[in-house]
Order: sequence, then structure tokens, then C-alpha cells
Amino acid sequence: MPLDRSIKKVLVIGSGPVVIGQAAEFDYAGSQACLSLREEGIEVVLLNSNPATIQTDHSVADRIYIEPISVDAVERIIIKEKVDSILPTMGGQTALNLALRLKREGVLDKYPVRIIGTPVETIDTAEDREKFHKLMLEINEPVAPSARLTTRNYESEISNLDIYPLIVRTSFSLGGSGGRILRTKEELTVLANEFFRVYPDEVLELEKSLEGIMELEYEVIRDNAGNCITICNMENLDPMGVHTGESIVVTPSQTISDQEYHNLRDSAIKVISALGIRGACNIQFALNQETGEYYIVEVNPRTSRSSALASKASGYPIARTSSKIAVGYNLTEIINPITKNTYAAFEPSLDYITVKIPRWPFDKFEVERKIGVQMKSIGEVMGIGRTFEEAFFKAISSLETKESKSLRLSVSDDQLKELIKTPSDLRIYAIIEALLRRWSTSNIRQLSRYAIYFIEKLKNVTDKLADLSTGILPENLRELKYTGIPDSLISTFTGIPETEIYKERERQNIFPVYKAIDTCSGEFFAETPYLYSTYDQESEFLETERKKETVIVLGSGPNRISQGLEFDYGSVKAVLKLKKKGFKTVMVNSNPETVSTDFDISDILYFEPLSLEHICNIIRRESPCRIIIQFSGQTGQNLAMQIREIFGDDIFLGTSPESIEAIEDRKKFAEALREFGIQQPEFVTVTNMQEAVQAIERTPLPVIVRSSFIIGGRAMDIINEKEEVYGRVTSLLQERPGFPVLLSRYVEDATEIDVDFVSDGKSHVISGISVHVEEAGTHSGDATMVLSPDLPDPQTGVKIRELVGTFVRKYNLKGFSNLQLALKGDELYVIELNSRSSRSLPFVSKATGVDWISVGIDAMVSGVLHAEEVHPKSYFVKIPAFPFNRFLDLDAILGPEMKSTGEGMTAGRTLEEALGKALRMMNVHIRNKGSVVISVSDKDKPGLLEIAEYISAMGHKLVATPGTRHFLKENGIDSDVIYKMEDVREPRIDQFISENRPDLIINTPNSRSGSIKDGYQIRKLAIRKNIPLITNLKLAEAFVQTLKAGEKSDYREIREYWEEP
Amino acid sequence: MNRYLILEDGTVLKGVAFGYSGDSYGEIVFTTSMTGYLESITDPSYKNQILTFASPTVANYPLGMGLFESDSVQVSGVVARDAHAQLVIDQSWLYFNNLLEEQKVPGIDLVDTRLLVRKIREKGVMRAYISSSPEIPNEFPDPMDEDVVSKVSCKEPYEVKGEGKHKVLFIDVGAKKSLVKELSMLADLYVVPYNSDFEKIDFDYDSIFISNGPGDPSHDSLSAVTDFIRKRSEDTHIYGVCLGHQIISLALGGKTMKMKFGHRGSNHAVTDGKRIFITTHNHGYAVDRESLHDTGLKVTQWDINDGSVEMVRHEKRPIFSVQYHPEASPGPRDARWFFEDIRKDLEVH
Repeated sequence: MPLDRSIKKVLVIGSGPVVIGQAAEFDYAGSQACLSLREEGIEVVLLNSNPATIQTDHSVADRIYIEPISVDAVERIIIKEKVDSILPTMGGQTALNLALRLKREGVLDKYPVRIIGTPVETIDTAEDREKFHKLMLEINEPVAPSARLTTRNYESEISNLDIYPLIVRTSFSLGGSGGRILRTKEELTVLANEFFRVYPDEVLELEKSLEGIMELEYEVIRDNAGNCITICNMENLDPMGVHTGESIVVTPSQTISDQEYHNLRDSAIKVISALGIRGACNIQFALNQETGEYYIVEVNPRTSRSSALASKASGYPIARTSSKIAVGYNLTEIINPITKNTYAAFEPSLDYITVKIPRWPFDKFEVERKIGVQMKSIGEVMGIGRTFEEAFFKAISSLETKESKSLRLSVSDDQLKELIKTPSDLRIYAIIEALLRRWSTSNIRQLSRYAIYFIEKLKNVTDKLADLSTGILPENLRELKYTGIPDSLISTFTGIPETEIYKERERQNIFPVYKAIDTCSGEFFAETPYLYSTYDQESEFLETERKKETVIVLGSGPNRISQGLEFDYGSVKAVLKLKKKGFKTVMVNSNPETVSTDFDISDILYFEPLSLEHICNIIRRESPCRIIIQFSGQTGQNLAMQIREIFGDDIFLGTSPESIEAIEDRKKFAEALREFGIQQPEFVTVTNMQEAVQAIERTPLPVIVRSSFIIGGRAMDIINEKEEVYGRVTSLLQERPGFPVLLSRYVEDATEIDVDFVSDGKSHVISGISVHVEEAGTHSGDATMVLSPDLPDPQTGVKIRELVGTFVRKYNLKGFSNLQLALKGDELYVIELNSRSSRSLPFVSKATGVDWISVGIDAMVSGVLHAEEVHPKSYFVKIPAFPFNRFLDLDAILGPEMKSTGEGMTAGRTLEEALGKALRMMNVHIRNKGSVVISVSDKDKPGLLEIAEYISAMGHKLVATPGTRHFLKENGIDSDVIYKMEDVREPRIDQFISENRPDLIINTPNSRSGSIKDGYQIRKLAIRKNIPLITNLKLAEAFVQTLKAGEKSDYREIREYWEEP
Repeated sequence: MNRYLILEDGTVLKGVAFGYSGDSYGEIVFTTSMTGYLESITDPSYKNQILTFASPTVANYPLGMGLFESDSVQVSGVVARDAHAQLVIDQSWLYFNNLLEEQKVPGIDLVDTRLLVRKIREKGVMRAYISSSPEIPNEFPDPMDEDVVSKVSCKEPYEVKGEGKHKVLFIDVGAKKSLVKELSMLADLYVVPYNSDFEKIDFDYDSIFISNGPGDPSHDSLSAVTDFIRKRSEDTHIYGVCLGHQIISLALGGKTMKMKFGHRGSNHAVTDGKRIFITTHNHGYAVDRESLHDTGLKVTQWDINDGSVEMVRHEKRPIFSVQYHPEASPGPRDARWFFEDIRKDLEVH
């Protein structure tokens, strides 16, 4: 079936702010979908509230709505844009859920619009556990056997039951515990007897436990004619019990036989066909290799994180093909764009191995590191190699964490055993540590349930690492490289700097070759240079003659707190601009979720770790060339000096490494500010405990403590108590010996301002000035920001421009920079300068309607600065999304340590319209006659009055903790009382919340110090019960402001906001 | 220990030896299958061929998890990128290494197999030596000149009691075990060698099946089979797979040709114009589409990429055959309907 000509205008729904479980992969899928539809002459309207995405750019979609992803917005868009179709399978669970709601709420029936791709009914069946199980039984495909026990039937049921080990769950949740594993009939009988004695009316749900057996996934595409292909399979190293997003995953599977592979493939095709999927989907299996039995765990009826991984692992553009199917094509009619010589109807063959490792935020959050069925990771990396060893250690060196660098764990044998047994981010390092301690592979297999194959493969590496000695360059360097051992690990195990190891490789001419990912193991000629390095014989896509100047753009690696999608936006836009300027563009990145690693963005794509080793290898191969590090976040900034040591200054486009260092080193920077006569919060730096003691005694509290080289506010805290200052300084000095620690005064009650600007070393242009709603002290990534026609005041504006001018000249800033300032009264304090693209730049670009990346590239590459500052015509808000519901042990308060995973953007004709939309997007709103729980610190009480008064006047119920209530009463505002959880009096807050479900909780911490736990229980409760929470009074004020304005908001194409109304 | 792969174009690739310690010679081919290494090396269609695995890991799961497609290792040699890892694991497993040693098949590991695949793709299949010396021999005779089928066809006829009421004469030109098994699910089989005196077969059959096998279908050694099929095509149901398919085409007046580097892998899509099937291929020869004019055979399926003939069906008579492997092993099982078609066709009797 060819193109369905009745499809003329399609609404593609994005996935909104990056949250855990939904990240850059949907920007990748959505962008590919939009481009694929436009290729067919179809007009594409895009709805996505995430400004950091590449898809919200007019080069990707025709019409763009950066608005909340809601039924409301979609309905308006259907009316305004007259779209005839909606594609909801490219925006993760968010878009899928919205499609189901559109159906349920009758929107789809009300307008002449239809869902294309997989039908809504299919989505519903796949998502509804009960319906799905029923269908599986009908087609005779196995799901984990289950049973229900009641008082009446349980004795006879138990006698017939044989599904041990099993998980038992009660019909009501017992303190959130996930269920218990029982192994014998006796255990179950005892439990059931006791349970039904106490709760005769309740039910026990039993399900066969699949924990410990293998987990595998298949990525499947089915077309309109019913043709079904599997793109690739993925084997989880972590057995069942660990979410596949939390597992280390290898592609293609390595330890299952041909029979097993195809038993699962057959099942996948059968299930997907029975469901009636049209497009891409993902199916997960549990496989017991001892019995040969398998179970279907679940089906994702859409493109997913796994699709992105499968696409990057196989080279097959899943989202693209899937979109073509949605508009009528079949697999036999679509050309494989990688080879350009074969059809999309085939199954990729891989002649390499890929390994994906999740990136967890445990370097930022002090929380429980155990992992399980819930996702906690923020991003992921993929390593590609010709052997498992090579791929695995490339992934490790892409992670940029403390453990990935040191590899070793200093724990006792007993602790080590526990770490191997219990799934956590440390398990893989524990396995490596055990191998380094010469534990037997079979013992490690017993403890971890990892396939012995992988453990043996890791042993190939640890055996060689164990032979390295401090200070000695290994004689068998070549052998080490062929084994897949990164320079960084050789450096860690010998103590020799990585730059020296690189130079030694140069002396001995030990360099990798580059091979292409072509979907077909080399069987067909492929035109696309999607490359990875390996130590082998033949290199591909070697340029014989240079036609164009080459520019390498470094990507930003795995998504993590403080470094995510916003940098990928920059990378991609930069590459496209450079291409337009006539350069040969080279992209380097290790993050499989991204658009930048799509094969047709750059002229050459190197899917490699952003480590010194690989960057240097690529520079060498591409030489002569230049490199841009401004879109790689802190990763590039941290490597600049080392790259310079090897290749010199001239290779860099943009601000020089020397300037970067002068800015990044907090001590040098602070001293320079002093010299320039620029105001900054008072500070002192210390490099040892002796200095620290003196400094701490002298500095007035509160202070901000941080390490000199920071990664997105890492290791930073506002501290109120002397004792705690000691603790932090000590640990920072221990963690990074030799790096100075900086203590600076915290400027209280100041307004924080983010300035993005572009410069050419002499002159500059301001891209945008965003003002924070929360007072200075909240990390700029966690703050709600406003870019508006009225802010800042003109006088401050003049001062800001002066400051920027000074910095541009002093540091010869070229390209992109971001300046953070605190405004108190008339005084402007410099907090931080970053000489790279920033988190706010995409937001600023989308608010001003200027392609700032393009402007910056011109400035950096050609030394021309042609753009002019744009005065915003509307109000724009950037609001953060937090992962608190995934980390109940993380306090939901804001501070200088970044905690948000992503952000949403809204716009409005008034500030209130924009803010109101933004807050509603984060679920902050009050129903008619709703209730609000208030408990604020003494400091915030005066500011509370206006808020409380208004909320109360609106007819909402106020409920307050005794102190807050007392204060309100004194000021003539009535409220009901509730008691804190530790109180003996009733009603306690937990009772109240369970029984009354308030609309909002306003709770501000008693002290600005992150360590003070007062109110922690309330916040935790709010998160657990999914009640919107505001922890900052300024934000609460802003919220009330939007309530007062009370106007209904409209949804507009982003370009409308760039014009005067 | 070093070992060398020497191609007829003068390429010498160095690798590490495993398996049997002696030298070997054959036609070098590659497979892009990612699973089923044991199934592949025991497939008689690979006779006189040195098999390169494009997938870097070979022997990554225990040998015992695979299936023997014949009683011995059929390939002349194995070329791999990363086969050595598994050789050190758990003593209880039957080593891949031991098997190759026992069967006198040398292996060569740590070879840039992708280079080799690309070379074969560019230059076509070549003749090659696996040798302990890098010296390039003077002669590279064609390994397919030999009567290769004689090496893999059964020596004596045997009966396989199957299911159903039908009786099939199964001509073994190098059959895979799983093909015999699949057919036995449909009928009683009388499996005969390729060089049988077909006129004197002491078995009352109602259909003929010709198996897969190695080599050139137009080789002289197969002319007796082809003649027999031609004769019986008037009055008998005839089915075939792989070499069998080519023999049927030849018997009815078609021609076959040697392909540049053939199809070997588990990911090829064939189509009938509407549906596609992902199938296992292992063929270095193909039926010439043009030559089928006036033979009564119609091309009903072809490879979606290069258009090569993958299935023929006679317009009037109960004769059909496929070029690929519906029995899979290794590979996908999308073409199982082929056996269903045979079952239905047998019912027509």
C-alpha cells in the first residue's frame, strides 16, 4: 500500500520535560518522525513543552506549539490547525496516555481527526494488564502464572498450586512494600492462615516470581500488510527483577542459542500480530535457560528508549520506518536509508557488539543506590566494539563517574559479596573488584546470576589490569589496547597521565581503525559513515583527498543531572549550521538516546566515548581539523587543557582552553574579579585543613561551599552551621586532593539572573536575560525562570551589558557564554561565568525566535557577529521537572545542588498567562473549593500572609501546622489545624492527606541548609501521595499572582509569541 | 600460534590458530547469521567451503545448546574474529575447539572478518588456504570441480517412519537433519543417495523431495538426478529446497548461474509481491530468471534486494521449490508455510 493521500496534516505529540524514564530518546524519535513525514509532503504540527528539544525547531516541524501536553491544548490545535491525523507513538508514555484520554474524553469523535499508526484499541490492550493477559491466554503465549486467594478458596487453591517461587501481594498496599517472595507451600500456607485470620475480607494476589532468570527484549516492526520483522534483540546482563532501563544491556544477545533466539522471535511476532501493532514496538521476555520456558513480561506499543538503543545499535532507523508505516507504506516500499541500496524489509545483522550502561544520579544524590523494578537512572551510554570487552569498557569510560574512573571499590570481602548479590549501580564494579581479587568466575556467577560468559570476558581485562604496576608504562601496551582496555584505566592502574599514554601510543603507532555500522555486516555497500573504533586491520571511510575544512563537534555524553538534552540541541544545530557554511562536520558522542547520534545529522558520526583517548584518536584521523567543545557541557571544559597539551591551541574554535581554565578555576576567577573591580560575594579559598579552620572561623554564615572545578553545581551547598561547614570542607578536600575549596558568603534574598550571550572576542550580543522566580541560592537549573519584556529594569540591563563587555574582552570570549548574577537592591554580584553553551540557551532561542546557535557559530568560526539583541515580545517561563517521586529518600527542597532532570516551557501574552500554564503543567492548581496545606519557616511567615489571605478569600480551605496557623490567626486569617507526623495529637498531616487529598502543599524548609530535615516528612508525604508541592515562597507568591489574574489561557504557535500581539 | 588465511588474490591475513592443527583449502564464503554457529558448520551445503563468521563472537554459548545438522563438521575451515573467549570456560562443556580438532577442521581467530566480508563482497567468492605458513601457493584449483555431493549424500538408503499416510522419496544431495525431520512430520520417507539407481527403487512413493546440498547444480555428478526429475515431473509431485530447487529448475529446462558472493545469512527478505518472509539463505548459485521461459515454472518469490529467484512453482503440475531454507536452523522460521503447502499438496492425491 502506498502513501495514504488523505493524510495531509499530522499532529505529532512529544514527550514533554525530561523525566526519569522519558528523556532524549523521544526527541530523537519525534524528530525522525517529523522529518520522515515531511519527506512525504505532509505538513507537520508538533506539540511539545520541552524547549531543549531539537524537534521544537522549524527546521524539523512546520508548526510548533511549545505548550503543555494536555487534552485542552490538543483540542485547540485541532481546531486552529485543522489537522487530520495525530501520531501519538513518538512521545513516550506521555503521548500515549494523552491519546487514550483523547479517545476517552470524546475529542477524537468530536472532530474529523484520527490516530495514525498503531490503533488506540491496540494501545489500550497492550497497556491494560488484564486485557493483555487475556489476549496472551487466547493465543496461547505464556505470561507468568498467577492466582488469587480468598478466605473461601485458599486452602484448596494452595493444595493445587505449583508456581514457586512466587510473589505474594495483598490487595491493599502494606506501607508501599512491593510484595514478598515465597518459596514453598509451607511458607504460603503459614502466611495465608495468618493473613485471612486478620483480614478475612481481603485478597492475596500470587504471581510466579521470575526473579533471577534471563531478561531479553526484541524490537519489532509490523506494517499495514501484516509483515513483521525484528530489528534486533537485546540481552540484559542483569537478570529479571531489574528494570530494563536500569540493566546493562548487550546487543545482539550473546548467550542464547539459535533455538532460543528464534523461539522468542516467533513469540514476539505472534504477540505483535495478535495485538495489531502498526509501526514499532518492543516486547520483553523472561527466559529460563534451564527449562527452556519463557514468559512475556510486557509490550510497549510505541517507540521507546529501547527503540532508540536498537536504532543506534543496529543502524536501523526505527522511528523513521515506523512513521512511514503510519502514513500507509509497507516495509517492501521503504528504502533502507543507511545503505540506500536495500529495502527496509530485512533484519539487521551486526558484526560488532554494543553495551549499554545506565547513568544514575548517585553522584549527585545521597540516596539508596539499590536498583530494581523502578527506574532511577537519568540517562545511558553505549559502547561499540568488535568484542564485548571493547564495547563494555568504552561504555564504562563514557560514564564519567567516580567509580567508572577508579574501577576499584575499597570494601571488605563480605561487603563485596553483598554488593554483587544486590542489584545497584555498584554491582558491576563489585564484579570487577572481585575479579581483581581473583575470586572465581563461578562464584561470581552464583552471587550475581550474570551469565558466566560476560564474567569470563571481564576477566580477560582484569587479568591484564592486575599485572600493571604503578609508574611503569606497560610493555604490552599494544596487547592491552587490542584487549579493549581504555587509556584512562591504564592511567588509573599505573598512575601515568592519560596524555602520556596517548603520546606513547603515538610513538609506537598504536591506533585503532574505524569501522562502519551499516545494518548488514558489510554484505552490502553502505553510503553512511556511522563509525566506531576498534583494534583491527582495516579502516573504512578514509578520506583520500580533502575537499572541505573539517570541524569536529563534541557531544555531551550521557544525560545526567545538569547535562542533558539542551546540549544536544546545541550540537545538532551547530553541525547543521557548519554544514551549511561548507564544512565537513564530524560528530562525537556516546549517548544512544540523542538526535546528534542520528546517522544523517553530521557528515561523519563517531559513536565513541567523550574521553581524551577517543577525542585525540579522532582528531588525529581527521587532521587537519578544528574542534568545538562548547556543546559538550562540563565534559569538554574539563578535557580542554589536556587536548591542548597534545594538539595545541589552534585546534580550538571558540574561547581558548587557557581562558576556560581561568574561568573554571574558582580561585583564579574570584581573584580576577577582584582585580577587574567586579563585585562578587566575599570568598576565601582553602587547600588544606589548616587554612580551612582559619577561614571557617572568620567567614560569616551562611556560606556556600564548593570545589574549584565544578560539574553543574556538584558538591555545592549553602550551609548555616559551622559544624557542617567543617564536615563539607573536609570531605571535599579528601575527595579531590589538591583542588582548592571555595567558601563564599551567600547573598540572601537576592534575585538571580541568567545572562546568555554570544561574542567574537571583541564585541558581544545578549541572547537573553532570564530572571529567576526563586531567590538566588536555588541552582539555575532548578529555578523557575522568566524571560520577559519588562525584566530586568533598564538600569540593571545597562550594568549587565557592561559586565558582559568586560568579560568578553578580558577572557577573549568567543562563541557562547552564560553569566549568572545576583541582584540585591542596586548591587549586582557575579556568581558564575561559563564559557560554553548553557542550559538556558535553547529556551532563550525559542523565546526570542533567533537561531542563536547559528549566530554563535558565525562568531566562533568566521569572526562575524551579525545578530542584534532581541527584545522579547511576550512572556516566557522555563519551569523545572524533578525526580522526587523516584527518590523518596531525597528531600524535595531546592538549593545550589541541581536536582531537576528537565524542564518545560510556556509562553503567554502576560506573565500570569505564561506562569499559570507552567504551574498547571507541573500540576500546581487548586480545584474549586479545594484545600491547601501550609507549613512554612519562621523566616517565610511574613511573606505568607498575602498568599494565605488570597487563597482563603477564593473560598479554598487553609490547613496549617500549629506554628503557621498561630501566625495566620494573629494576622486575622482562619485555618484548620493539622499536626506534624511525629506529633501525638490528631489530625496528623498524613491522616489528613490520605483522607482529604489537598490540592497543594506549601512547605518551606526551616533553614536553607540542605541538612536540616524539618518539614522533610511533609515533603516526602506530598511526593509519595502525588500532591503538588511548593517549597519556595517566591514561587508560591508567583502562583497566587496567576490565580489573581485568573484569565483563561490560549495556545499559540510559537511564532505568534515572537510578534507584538 | 599464528595461522594464515591466503586468498587467491594474494591477500594474506594473519590470525591465531584454533581447532585442528593441519592446513586446509576451500572456497571462502561468509555468513551474516548472528546465531547458530554449530548449525552452520555442520550444514552439508558448506562442503568444501571455508566459512567466515561476520558476527564477531563465535562459540559464545555452549556447543550443547546448538544442533548438529549432520553427523560431522562440514566446513573446510572456520574464520572468526572472537572465538577464543569461550574456549577457556567450564570444563564440562564440549569444546568447540575439541570438536574441530577431532573433525580435522582448522580454525583461525582474531581475523579482521569485516575486511574479509568486504573483500568478498567486492571481488566475489575466492579460493583460499588456511595455512601455518604465510607463503602464497602457486595453485588455487576450484574446490567446486570436485563431486562434492558425494561427500555429503548418504551412502545407503534408509527409511524414516514419519507421520501421515503419504510416502516421499527423499533424494539426499546433502540434506540437513532438520530438513529430514520436517519432512518426516508430513510423510514416511525413503532417503536415498544422489547416485542411486532411481529406476530400481524399492519403495512405493507418491512424491519426490530433493534436499539442500553443496556445490554447482549443473555439475556432471548430478545429471542422473536431474534426468530422473525431468522424467518424473510429468506424473509425480515434486518439491525441493536449495540445491533441490536448482535441480528441479534445471530438470524442467531452466539454467543456473554462480552468484558473485551468494546469499548466506538469516536476515534476507523474500517477497511474493505482497508479503515478506525473513529467511535463512545459503546459496552460491541461483536460478536464472530469464531461463525459465517456456519451462512452465513461474517465479513466485524473489529476494527483495537483488531480485534473485527464491521460489518457483509449476503453472500446471504439482511442482514447487524454494531456494532458501524453510527449515531454518539456524535462522528465522517465517517460511514454515512451505511445509504446510507440501502437506496440502500431498492431500490432493
